Amino acid sequence: MRAFELAVATDAAHAVALLAEHGPSVKVLAGGTDLLVELKSASHVPRVVVDISRAADLKGIAVTDQGLRIGALVTHTEILRSPLIREMFPALADAAHTIGAVQTRNLATLGGNLVTCVPSMDSGPTLVALDALVTIAGPGGRRQLPLTGFFVGPRKTILKPEELLVEIIIPRENLGKPANFQKFGLRKGQALALVNAAASLWMDWERNVCVAPRIALGAVAPTVIRAPAAEAYLEGRAITPEAMAEAGRIAVGEARPISDFRASVEYRRDLIAVLTRRALANAYARAVVAREGEIK
Amino acid sequence: MIAVTMKINGETRTASVPPETTLLALLRDQFNLTGSKLGCDVGDCGACTVIVDGKCVNACLILAAQADGRDVLTIEGLATLERLHPVQKAFEDNASLQCGFCGPGVIMSAKALLDENPDPTAQQIRDALAGNLCRCTGYTKMIEAVQDAARILRAERAPASQS
Repeated sequence: MRAFELAVATDAAHAVALLAEHGPSVKVLAGGTDLLVELKSASHVPRVVVDISRAADLKGIAVTDQGLRIGALVTHTEILRSPLIREMFPALADAAHTIGAVQTRNLATLGGNLVTCVPSMDSGPTLVALDALVTIAGPGGRRQLPLTGFFVGPRKTILKPEELLVEIIIPRENLGKPANFQKFGLRKGQALALVNAAASLWMDWERNVCVAPRIALGAVAPTVIRAPAAEAYLEGRAITPEAMAEAGRIAVGEARPISDFRASVEYRRDLIAVLTRRALANAYARAVVAREGEIK
Repeated sequence: MIAVTMKINGETRTASVPPETTLLALLRDQFNLTGSKLGCDVGDCGACTVIVDGKCVNACLILAAQADGRDVLTIEGLATLERLHPVQKAFEDNASLQCGFCGPGVIMSAKALLDENPDPTAQQIRDALAGNLCRCTGYTKMIEAVQDAARILRAERAPASQS
């Protein structure tokens, strides 16, 4: 690796100050599983790398007034083992478990996965399906926006050079919302998704219809996307196998998959339909189980 | 240069390193602990796996400066002069390695697994070893060795009063 200077941030505010001080070419080091790989192969490395991995206020998983707050530095291992997440959002734990291998999950952070912003990221779809918000800290203070607005394109987010992703929040009204994550890769370990998908829904059991369905897709567009037409189709509709299959077919038309060395566009289209249907079916199954728990 | 102090295999070690030095480079080049292997250097192969604060990580993906103040266990820290660690012994007894290059990383992954889960299923072992590539063995004998090591470690930990 080429030489750089390391500036160690003690907390989020310090990190923002260091980013402002060292200018636009500065890089942020969190888990390092993407950045160090990038720096090892780069012909130019930044003069300064800001190490945020010791910033305690960027860690932790907790329920706050706003909802479930996940610090940007929380690792994928911490997510998949968190009792809070396993109880409220097992889909998030499932998604975390599909990322890399044990060694990378122990280092890599949720914030890093979102900021690196590759189209096949496995932590994005479930969070998007749960209407997650992100908090960004900058020199002028903090701002919050929906995660969908955070993604701009492949390896590109809305973050300005002097800004830092601080936390991810699943809003209070979605706590416990039944959700599911599906990934299709070519192996179980260390595989990127050919397509991934997540769904969430509430059930109105009086009318036996689904409410506020969300469908999010990855690796089929420049960023993680929602499938709003498929969602609109399901809104207020009974969740039948036919309805879920139709939602999957509609979702295919909302994506813009490409052919690459991992899969053809035709194959990805088939996967979108199948994974969307499976994600919906599993989210619905979870809603059924939750309701049975309440009835007892 | 950055001054780092960390516990390596139970012993406190200090060094002064350029900021871009990885933990793997520190272990191999400065401390002559060459058991952790440099394979892909990008976190794919797992040959550099070490245990930091109880969790296995790719030593090629963590800076030495990030390991400052932490507790690092490498393959050199497992055996004593008297005996191999039960995981090492089980790998030997099962002939689980051929060329052996991946061995230190695989054994550290297995050790980290068994520290947390003394009775893993075959699938849990596969999951724990998914970050360690082996091009010789096909993994089956490794999985059998981890199962044997788990049995031996459980027997060692069991209270003697059970007999």
